[in-house]
Amino acid sequence: MHRKFWIGALAVALLISLGWGYNEYRLAGEYRLAAENNNHRALTDFASHLNQLETDMAKGDVASNPTQKILYLSQVSSKSDSALKDFAQIPSDQAGLSYVGEFLTQSGDFARTLTQRIAGGGTISAEEEKTLRDMHERLLPVNQKVQDIMNRMDTENLVWIDPKPSLRQRLGFGGTQIAEAAADGSEAPSKSVRSGLDQLDASLQKLPPFSYTGEFATRVVSKPLGLPSGNVTRGQAQGVVRDFLNKVGYTNTTPEFAGESQGPLGGYMWKYENADLEVSRQGGVVTYYRDQRSIDPRTMSIEDATSRAKSILKALGWQLVLTSSEDYGSYVQFDAVVEENGVRIYPDKVRLMIALDNGHLIGLDAAPYYAFHHTRTFPAKITMNQAVRKLRANFKILESRLTVIAKTGNQEIYCYEFRGQYQGEEYLLYLNASTGAEEKIQRIIKTPRGEYLQ
Amino acid sequence: MKLRVRPWRVVLIIGLILSITLSGIAYAALGDRLLGRGSKGPEVKELQAKLVQLGYGLGKVDGKFGSKTEAAVRNFQKDHGLRVDGLAGTNTIKELKRLTSQNTNASGKAVGNKAIDTNLLARCVNAEARGEPYTGQVAVAAVIINRISDPAFPKTVADIIYQPKAFSSVDDGQINLPPSASALRAAQEAVNGSDPSGGALFFFNPAKTKNKYIWSRPQIKKIGNHIFTK
Repeated sequence: MHRKFWIGALAVALLISLGWGYNEYRLAGEYRLAAENNNHRALTDFASHLNQLETDMAKGDVASNPTQKILYLSQVSSKSDSALKDFAQIPSDQAGLSYVGEFLTQSGDFARTLTQRIAGGGTISAEEEKTLRDMHERLLPVNQKVQDIMNRMDTENLVWIDPKPSLRQRLGFGGTQIAEAAADGSEAPSKSVRSGLDQLDASLQKLPPFSYTGEFATRVVSKPLGLPSGNVTRGQAQGVVRDFLNKVGYTNTTPEFAGESQGPLGGYMWKYENADLEVSRQGGVVTYYRDQRSIDPRTMSIEDATSRAKSILKALGWQLVLTSSEDYGSYVQFDAVVEENGVRIYPDKVRLMIALDNGHLIGLDAAPYYAFHHTRTFPAKITMNQAVRKLRANFKILESRLTVIAKTGNQEIYCYEFRGQYQGEEYLLYLNASTGAEEKIQRIIKTPRGEYLQ
Repeated sequence: MKLRVRPWRVVLIIGLILSITLSGIAYAALGDRLLGRGSKGPEVKELQAKLVQLGYGLGKVDGKFGSKTEAAVRNFQKDHGLRVDGLAGTNTIKELKRLTSQNTNASGKAVGNKAIDTNLLARCVNAEARGEPYTGQVAVAAVIINRISDPAFPKTVADIIYQPKAFSSVDDGQINLPPSASALRAAQEAVNGSDPSGGALFFFNPAKTKNKYIWSRPQIKKIGNHIFTK
């Protein structure tokens, strides 16, 4: 009796677990299939966009009439954007700098730059035509290789990523590691889609970079322009920190050294109570300060904070004008820029944060200022009246001034800035001060914290 | 014993019950009354939703002002220069409403929060750099923003964050946790252009990774537990 009961109970338990297991297995299969389909879709889309990109690039090269050229070149940029998006979805076992991605970004960027130029009535130089042809030449083998991977996917059952080394291989009994070969860029036939793409990446890496001016022309950050000359030692840097802390309300401090930093604005990092600071090696200036102390209830208005910000800037030796503020409740964040002979120089920016409990400085980011500040020479300009006439009808001007604005790719443009309203929206319009061409449009959005530019 | 029903009493009792429940349901708008420990109702729910939206987690949005809601209110007050008392009074609610209101254009038309990218960025910061110093959180957000302007990476925040194997928090699902208030603020700050990472494209925790590629990158600086590299 007892025994029968147990056998029955176990049999039921087995059946239930079998059913559960089958169900899980089926679900896992469904998910695997869904993921597989997504991967296939990404790879197929990638291959097909590359293919179209290659064709459009060839057509964009041969087209002679400007409208046709604009058509094909703008297709080149949109196809390379799509290809990049697909490429980012293909499975991999680690992410790193991708030369395939870089190539796609640059070809799209270059085509966009050319499109804008032709649309503005400009022409393409012989050198640029050559760059475009070079890009096409380089794209051909990339396209071929990807199609080859697609084919092998069907014929050789290529997997998505290289299998992890088996237990036998990990213990050192034979078997080569494919991933190592792929990373070297050697041309051993790839066993997976990813290693095929890695080989492609390695082969692109060996080629020289393109030279052109555009948004994504380079991945190298240029040297900082605004740092004072001469290097400081760690001891001198500590003195700079103490002096700075003294000016922002901390007397008799002994900042602790918190490590060195590298890079264009690199230097010495410091810690004092809840505050972090960084002093550049070149020039010995405070590039970053952030105090994370707890802030007591607010006692100051935005106006109080604004005048505090101005006096703190003066005390720290800056000659800047405040351009915007954002209210975060316990502190206000200000942006301040250089103004030279009435020209606002937006790239030379310092950001500061003022606590609303006692009006002390709790944050300073001067990295943009030190990266970009230099003496500028301004080209001849059209008059304000001439610029105003270039604006569209019904644009109601609220403010206007001369400015220098940054354009992506570390370029600067000398512009007239017009703040004004059009059809119930507020904008900042930037007109090139020497040519009168429209360079940039920003829409002003009012957020709960302050104004925001889009 | 016979139960004697007095009609005026019944009317009184029913009236009393109705007036109590109706005052609780029909006329409750956030800001009408002081909310504190033990308060209940739709306005508490609204309060909780706004706190969660700003990154002050409190468990379930259930319309009951309990200890977690009180802690969230306290944290909110601490971060926003208000008197820290754990009660949602006029000032606290005014500040909450200000920060959760929609953005508008110049003529006052609402245009939505326009914070889609910031929100995803904040989730990634929350998942990758929870427990890191605030500067380290801004730096993690800045790494993603730096990738957008680097030619070798995809061009949108979502493409970068969801790129296969780019962030471990995507693989283990932590990216789906609601972001904290400091993660939201860090993301906002990085979107506005702050970059304490010094132009980094990668970051990693040296105690947790053996990945050869990431160790080979030129290091810029260490903030908290993360090394930031080119």
